[in-house]
This record gives sequence, structure tokens and C-alpha cells, in this order.
Amino acid sequence: MAKIDLKNITHVYKSGGEETRAVNDVNLTLAEGTSNALIGPSGCGKTTLLNIISGLLTPTEGQVLIDGKDVTELPPRDRNIAQVFQFPVVYDSMDVYGNLAFPLRNRGTPEGEIEGRVQEAAELLGLDDRLHENPASFGPEWSQLVSLGRGIIRHDTTALLFDEPMTDVDPGRKLTLRRRISQAQKRLEVTALYVTHDQHEALTFAEKAAVMKDGQIVQYGSPEELYERPVSTFVGNFIGSPGMNFIDCEFAGEDLKAGKFTVPLNETMRNSLDSSWSGVELGVRPNLVDVYDEPEGGGEIPAEVTLTEHLGSYQIITLKVEGIGVEIKAELPLEEKTDIGSEKFIGLTPKNIMLFHNGEAIQNEKK
Amino acid sequence: MKNRAWWFLLPALAVMSLSAFIPLMTVINYAQYSVFPGSAPQFIGMENFADVLGDGVFLDSLRRQVLFSIEILLIEIPLGLGLALALPKKGKWVGWSLVLLGIPLLIPWNVVGIIWRVFTRSDLGAVPAIFNWIGYGAYNASLNSGDAWWTVVAMDVWHWTPLVILLCYAGLQAIPEEFYRAAKIDGASAWSTFRYVTLPKLRHSLILAVLLRFMDSFKIYAEPFQLTGGGPGNSTTLLSIYTSRKAIGGFNMGFGAAVSIIYFFLVILISWLLYTIMMNVGGGSSK
Ligand SMILES: Nc1ncnc2c1ncn2[C@@H]1O[C@H](COP(=O)(O)OP(=O)(O)OP(=O)(O)O)[C@@H](O)[C@H]1O
Ligand SMILES: [Mg+2]
Repeated sequence: MAKIDLKNITHVYKSGGEETRAVNDVNLTLAEGTSNALIGPSGCGKTTLLNIISGLLTPTEGQVLIDGKDVTELPPRDRNIAQVFQFPVVYDSMDVYGNLAFPLRNRGTPEGEIEGRVQEAAELLGLDDRLHENPASFGPEWSQLVSLGRGIIRHDTTALLFDEPMTDVDPGRKLTLRRRISQAQKRLEVTALYVTHDQHEALTFAEKAAVMKDGQIVQYGSPEELYERPVSTFVGNFIGSPGMNFIDCEFAGEDLKAGKFTVPLNETMRNSLDSSWSGVELGVRPNLVDVYDEPEGGGEIPAEVTLTEHLGSYQIITLKVEGIGVEIKAELPLEEKTDIGSEKFIGLTPKNIMLFHNGEAIQNEKK
Repeated sequence: MKNRAWWFLLPALAVMSLSAFIPLMTVINYAQYSVFPGSAPQFIGMENFADVLGDGVFLDSLRRQVLFSIEILLIEIPLGLGLALALPKKGKWVGWSLVLLGIPLLIPWNVVGIIWRVFTRSDLGAVPAIFNWIGYGAYNASLNSGDAWWTVVAMDVWHWTPLVILLCYAGLQAIPEEFYRAAKIDGASAWSTFRYVTLPKLRHSLILAVLLRFMDSFKIYAEPFQLTGGGPGNSTTLLSIYTSRKAIGGFNMGFGAAVSIIYFFLVILISWLLYTIMMNVGGGSSK
């Protein structure tokens, strides 16, 4: 167990006269024994940040603290951190037993002790039947378990880092692997950081997730926080599938105007606005868009259904509002009749919407 | 199954039978006759083979040949691997170093002979001068059998180590960076990393290098022939020099044919042995 602190971490890659600022002034604290996810689009610096934590890279600036101790300059072997990579690494000159024992042998652990530890780790990961097989013939999900096994074999492993470990794994096997990873993390009570660009994976694995963009962490919070209170339109759009709907609005007296339609605001929202702005963006989650067949008399916006997608237990419909250049997605129960081309009425109530200005959430005491 | 595609193999089969199969059959046929120019061949069965295997000069040159191949493998493989490891993995020097290293490979065999004959001439060559200078005494490849032997070894090492370097270097480049990252995380020392990551991943490149260098060195001809013609004495008479002396220089063509066949099967047999042994070392084991 360990608390991991990143202080003002910046990393610049220099290659052939070109500089890439892969990580830009990141501050992040991962509490002891928690499971965390790091999500963000491709190339935003996730792998770089992970490698800095494990010690494979030394950051250009900033410090990495483990339990308050500055480890920035320490090599990986002195950090007690395990890392599972995107592409499974198994040493195919050794069998599973040899793979698991490898980190211990490298530290000169006595063979008697190694045997017990290998047995224990193998049982935890369900590898105990396969100890004497050569992992060269394993599929990606078993190879990843072997990699993970090498990570947790040391009794002093304090943190587990995963870099998109599911990339190569068959969709059908992902669930089992994820469950095993989760179990191991909980049982060993290690601090975990799980990199992915699949938010579903992130939010089921982790208690807290950090959203990264262009080398910076834009938000760190629980899945609910990220979903309900995104700090920016980027997070709103990135988290949730489909992401949040955004509508550009202008001020119209006390309320907002989207095209020719009025959107009512509540008192706190009004107070948070600045009249010098030219307008705001209104954000609403698809599941919070009220959709009616008939106008309810509350200024509902007429829209036409242009697409319906059935997703198991619910459906997502795409609505086109005349005069506003956006399409709005709404989540509805399956029984709702949503023929393409039919007319619906959209209700946007203050308790369901969020306001953003220049992409940043406007702080208001919602609800 | 009828498949017209087989017809497309015909040209290849025709070329192969003309270039390999028919000559081989001819040689096998010859080897069972007593063939002297000017007289009718006489069938003598396995007698030629028995004669070859009983010939002391043949056995000597075979022993010499095996020793030679072992020596150059022991030098060229570790040296080539070591140099490949020492080369930079990326950067602007990579291209240049590879081209420079590859130069010996581009030199035709007869030029190699000329270069080394000039190098080792006792009156004006650089090699004798250097040996003199370090106090080794008078180096003379045409008088001293040790000097001749090691010069042939040096010629082969100089000529062919670059091939081993290139094969190993290509193999090294193909090892994903992730393996080295994982080894670092697992706390592996430089030696462990080499032993458990680099070496196993290079296995196929090394097998290829060993086989190519074995087969080629086992058939070495131009170097000893051009340096001293197999001498002094028989000290650099390797198997191919012996064979050509018997088949072309000698008159007994049946005997020469038997030598060729034994030679041919030796190359195949030893290559197979090497391959089998190398494919079976380094498999997974735990304790
Ligand atoms: N060794 C390197 N040299 C130069 N630039 C690099 C290097 N590694 C990564 N980069 C650059 O740094 C940025 C961040 O890369 P990084 O691999 O950390 O992103 P990532 O979030 O892990 O992306 P992905 O989701 O594709 O794995 C990218 O622009 C990438 O091109
Ligand atoms: Mg990455």
C-alpha cells in the first residue's frame, strides 16, 4: 500500500530537434489502496505519465513521491511498483513458474520462499494449473495474467500500474481478465492506476478516475462526479456514451435563448452568469433530456427523430431541432414509440442542465 | 485432388532437376565405378567409398575442416553478436556503421585473396611487419603452417563476421521495447536481461547465422587456395581443396565422386545436427 503523489510533473520528449510536451504540469494524489483509472484520448500522455510513476522515465520537471518519499531519481527496481503493459510481455524462455519467480530471483530471494510466493500468486490469478506450461503459447489474456503475476509476486509491491492491458484481449475474455485484476487489487490492497481509453472499463474498475487531455489532468473524481459534474465540455463529452449534448445559447433577459426557443433558468444559475459574456453553452446528459409526444406547456422545443438505436435495455434517439445547428441525443425506455420522422418535444429543466462558458463549467450550486 | 496449380511448379522442377538432381545422380552413379579417362568404366560398388574413408589424407583434411569450422564459429558468432549489441539502436550513425561493416561482404572472393596475399607478403606486407614489430618473429604464411592456418581463419573472420553482425542486428531491432521495460520493472540485471530477453529473442537469428556460417566455412576453398594453395605441406588443405585435387587434379574420377558424395552428406548431416541441437536448447524450464 502506498500513497502516490505527483507534483508539477512535466515531461518533454526531445527527438531530432523536435520537442513534444507529453505531460504538462500534472498534480495528482492517489490515496493508499485505492483503485484509479486514467482516461483520455490517444496521445494525451497517459503512457508517459505511467512510465514516470514506475520509474521507466525520469520527468523533465517535477517530483514523484511514494508515501511522502521523493523517488523521482530512483530506478524502477527500487520503487516496488509493478507495471502491466499494453502488449503482454512473457519471457518465453521460462515456463509460467519461472516467469513468476523471475522478479524474486533477480532480488536473490531464497528458492524455498519463492516457491510459496509463486503458489500464492498463481492461486490468486487462477494460474495454478498452468505453472509448468510455457506461456509462449498463451493467448493475450493469460499472458497478461502472467505479467500481472510477476507484478504482484513481491510482497512489497505497493502499486500496480496498467497500461491499456485489454488492447489485445478478445472482447469475450475481457470481463474475466478485468474481474481477476480487480480481485487481485482488492485482495492485496495495493494502490492501482489503470490506463485506458475505454471509459466503461475505467469506470467499472476504478473508484476514481482522472481524465487527461493534451498532457494535463483536467478532472479527477469519482465516476458519479465525472458524469454529473464535468468541469468542462471536454469531460462532459468524453465521459458517457453518448456524451453530453451541448447547445449554444444567448442571453435573453432572465433566461437563455437557443435559436428561437427559450430555456428557463433558476435563480442560482442566473446569479452565476456574467452579462459581459456573449453567451453560454448548455449541457445536458442524454438520460436527462425529457422527451414528450405532446407539448406540456413549459416551452418544450419541437424536434424530429432522425435516428433510433436500440442498446439492450434502452434506446438512444437522435433529435433534430429546427433552427439550431445541433442534434440532441436522448436516452429513452425501449417501450417508447420513436418512429423516424415523428415529432417530439424536448424539455430542458434547470435541474437537469449544466452551463459552460468557453468550455469551462460555470460553478453553481446545482440542486 | 486435381489442381492445375501444380503445373506452375514445372519450370522450377525442370530447373532444379537440371541444376541439382541430374548432376547429383550422375555423381552417385560415377562413385560406383572405376573411371579413368581413356578406358571403359568398370562397376566396383562401394569400393570407392571404402577407399576414401581409408585415405589418411582425406581423414586429415576432414579433421582440419571440422576444426576450422568450429574455430570460426567460436570466433565469428560471439564477435558478431557482441558488435551488433554495441551498435547504436537508432540515430544518424546507424546507416553509416552498417554500410562500413558490410563492405567486406561486397568484395568478390578473388579480390579477397589478392588483398590478403598483399597483406601477408613477407617482403612488403603489413602483417609480417606488424608481427615483426611486436616481436613475434618472422611471420611467413608460405613457410610456417601455424601462420598460414591463422591467416586463413583471420581472412574468414574478416570476410564473414559482418554477416553475423547484420543478422544479429536485424534480430535485435525486432525485439519490442516493452520486453526491456518489463525486465527493468522486474529488477533484472544487465546480464539477466541479456540472458532472458535478448538471447532467447535472438535465437532464430543466431541459428540462422550458425547454419549459414557453418555451411559456408565447411566448403571454404578460395581463401586457402589463394593464400598458399593448401600448404605449406597439407596444413591448410581443407576438405574442398582435397576434393578438387582428387576430382580434377587426380585421374580417378570415381574416387573423386565418392569424396563429393561423402562431403555433401557431411554438410547436410552436421547442419541438421546443429539445427536440432540449437532448436532444443533454451526451452522453458522452471527449477
Ligand atoms: N519516445 C518518444 N519520443 C518522442 N515523442 C514521444 C515518445 N513517446 C511518446 N511521444 C509523444 O508524446 C505524446 C504522448 O504519448 P503517450 O504515449 O504518453 O500517449 P498515450 O496517451 O499513452 O497514447 P495512446 O492512447 O495512444 O497509448 C504523443 O504525442 C507521442 O507522440
Ligand atoms: Mg499509451
